[in-house]
Amino acid sequence: MRDKILFIIGAIAIFILARDIYMVAGLPEEANQGAIFKIIFFHVPMAMTALTCSLVAFVSSVAFLITRRFYFDALAVAVTEVGLAFLAGNLITGSIWGRIIWGIWWTWDARLTSALVCWLLYAGYLMLRRAIEEPTQRATFAAVFSIFAFIDVPIVIFSIKWWRTQHPQPVFWGGGSFPPDWAAIFWLNVLAVLLVGIVFTAVRLRQEEAQREIDSLRRMAHAL
Amino acid sequence: MQPSAEDVAREITRLQHNYQFLSYGLIVAWLILVVYVLMMVSRENKLKREIASLRAMLEDRK
Repeated sequence: MRDKILFIIGAIAIFILARDIYMVAGLPEEANQGAIFKIIFFHVPMAMTALTCSLVAFVSSVAFLITRRFYFDALAVAVTEVGLAFLAGNLITGSIWGRIIWGIWWTWDARLTSALVCWLLYAGYLMLRRAIEEPTQRATFAAVFSIFAFIDVPIVIFSIKWWRTQHPQPVFWGGGSFPPDWAAIFWLNVLAVLLVGIVFTAVRLRQEEAQREIDSLRRMAHAL
Repeated sequence: MQPSAEDVAREITRLQHNYQFLSYGLIVAWLILVVYVLMMVSRENKLKREIASLRAMLEDRK
């Protein structure tokens, strides 16, 4: 049943994404930036999904430290890994946009740097988990690290407001606007990418449960 | 004022460059999803194999 629901959600998300590529291709070019502006339809939804994953990881880590339930630890690692994939997509698509608009692949601007630091912190979280064998210790250290890493998320979001950055101001809360048909495609894409994130997290969470089963089978094998 | 042939050619090159990089962006976005799915599928198979072998080992020991 769970598999069927995940499959349906995934199929809906892929359908929306595929349809939106067709819709985006049909949109006129943006007056100043030309066709490359259309990358925003994938760059921003990926960032939104990645930062939502960070928020869920933060809440799960706090919940683990309070309740000591391993479900929250599994959720935190699942959602962090998925968020990392989307943040990588966001950084790379942003870099491609920058190459056309700024003429450079990368600049050490506050938004770009804080987003890269965010990616490195969450990659460090996954590496930390691999380095600790004992499950309770691993979950506790990882939860504390995840809470620490989350400090960077508001910095990523508000960096463009707090500092004068080369990265443009946001379209929706920076005084800009989209034509209504563009906005509809954009928000549909946000929904689709979020749905993909949910499916990935659910699959990854199941894998964490399988890993816990392996750990308990190993303990049984040692005890016998 | 009519644009010169040079201006037109430059504009065409700019547009082609723009579309080329837009397609790179879309390919990267999809590629990341596909690679991550493949990674998850391979991990799922590995976990299933490991569970099956551990269960078989426990059965043997019993």
